[in-house]
Amino acid sequence: MKRNIPLVVCLVMGVSMMVQFFVPHPVSVAYYELTTRWFRIVAAFALVLGTGSLIMYHSDKIQRKRQGWFYSVVTILAFVATAVIGLGWGIKRGTILQDVIFSNILVPLNASMFAILAFYMASAAYRAFRARTKEASLLLIAAFVVMLGMVPLGANLPFRLPALVLLTVGVAVGIYLAVRNQNWRGVLVLGLLWVLLGLAVRFLFAPRFGAVAEQVLSYPNMAAKRAIVLGVALGAVATSLKVILGIERGWLGGGKS
Amino acid sequence: MRFFQTLLRIDRRIIYLVVAGLVMLPLVRPLGLGVTSGPRAQVLFDVIDSLPSGKTVLISVDFDPASMPELYPMMAAVMRHAFARDLKVLICGLWVTGPGLADRALSEIPPEYGKEYGKDVVYLGWKAGVDAVILGMGENIKSVFPVDYQGHPLESLPMMNEVAKLRDIPIAVIFSAGDPGYRDWIRYGQTRYGLRVSAGITAVSAADAYPYLQTGQLTGLLAGMKGGAEYEILVQKSGYSNAYMPAVAAMDSQSLAHVVIMLLVIVGNVAYFATRKRGA
Repeated sequence: MKRNIPLVVCLVMGVSMMVQFFVPHPVSVAYYELTTRWFRIVAAFALVLGTGSLIMYHSDKIQRKRQGWFYSVVTILAFVATAVIGLGWGIKRGTILQDVIFSNILVPLNASMFAILAFYMASAAYRAFRARTKEASLLLIAAFVVMLGMVPLGANLPFRLPALVLLTVGVAVGIYLAVRNQNWRGVLVLGLLWVLLGLAVRFLFAPRFGAVAEQVLSYPNMAAKRAIVLGVALGAVATSLKVILGIERGWLGGGKS
Repeated sequence: MRFFQTLLRIDRRIIYLVVAGLVMLPLVRPLGLGVTSGPRAQVLFDVIDSLPSGKTVLISVDFDPASMPELYPMMAAVMRHAFARDLKVLICGLWVTGPGLADRALSEIPPEYGKEYGKDVVYLGWKAGVDAVILGMGENIKSVFPVDYQGHPLESLPMMNEVAKLRDIPIAVIFSAGDPGYRDWIRYGQTRYGLRVSAGITAVSAADAYPYLQTGQLTGLLAGMKGGAEYEILVQKSGYSNAYMPAVAAMDSQSLAHVVIMLLVIVGNVAYFATRKRGA
């Protein structure tokens, strides 16, 4: 019973909300308005649950003196102090919460945490960003183009020279492989291709790094991102259907039915 | 050989020092690298510029102090543009850390243009429940926010008599550092209520926004500090503001930071391949 009632509620609400989306009748609209009000109330309860869970987790950690328990003390103290000050003295401009806790503690701490990422990133890139494979090399080239194209220093730099260098290196490697395999037709085709592409880069296109970075973001990046978004969306639809139909029951939690 | 091996073992504190030095240098002595406005910022600028005066622009403050250096300057520039064009500004937020930042903007920007709270600008504050909040605002803003951030009933604010729901708002500019953010406004505000959405986002999440731009779900985009700098330039060139441009000022530092990271990667790779070849 304890499991069946939530399953029935989930099925009825899920199916009715799906149907409601396609029915513009006033009754359907009124039902929608009512459920969005319920939704807001339920969402507020989620906040209470989150707070309770935070306190329980950290209290348990302190009681059992688990590793790093002292940080849990700081978390709970900060939580209680913020709540008491906010509830007691208000949250508007000019209050302790706004002027001291938010502006003078949270803002500098949060901004500092994010700012030091630049240093870690620089160090990590120096140590780990290696052109070990073809894929990593491609990623490295794309990263260089986008990084340079996204700042004023590089955005207006002509792309022509590095493009010609890359083209030449690529074709030279191709020709070397073709010569090694005695594929003379391949050598001829690659040579011709190099001349044509070189001329195209030299005379037809004179793109700047900024424009090339924009192309990288607008086409290969977008195609990959779209595939991810569509995949995630389809997965979400499938999971939602499983939840609505009661196939996926993980959200009910454990315990006896 | 030994030189390259030494390079690979370089102390990370030296790297930190180099990065810090190069980032701070332009703040002390600006390099004056010119920022030119890009097409994405121009689209948003043109849309706001073409709105008839008296219309309302919705601004959602969906970020925290960590993203403030990137997102706050662009939010300030958009607000300045809206006020200079005599548009009204309605502010809300889906991030619990946003209210203080929005409040800071409110105390700084409307007074520059002689704008009055309640008549030209209203701040709704933050409310829990992302999608429920957006869906509720689509039906009736007052039902979700009966009072504003300062506790005034919305009914007592003249501006809110003209803005009842999302359909009354010609454009929403979402300043978003992640989730919840512009995607939720597209998912619920645009899909259900036809809300036109634009976004100002952090540079690191810019790549995620391109599919939404291509489909037209996003009207213009301000990406990272550069997006903010572009909008500041547009606003200042059009004579809407003479205020200090923090994003433009920070672009020199960002340029040098990018270059130094690229140089470090090149040096790291050269040293890696040199030692690997010899080792092999």
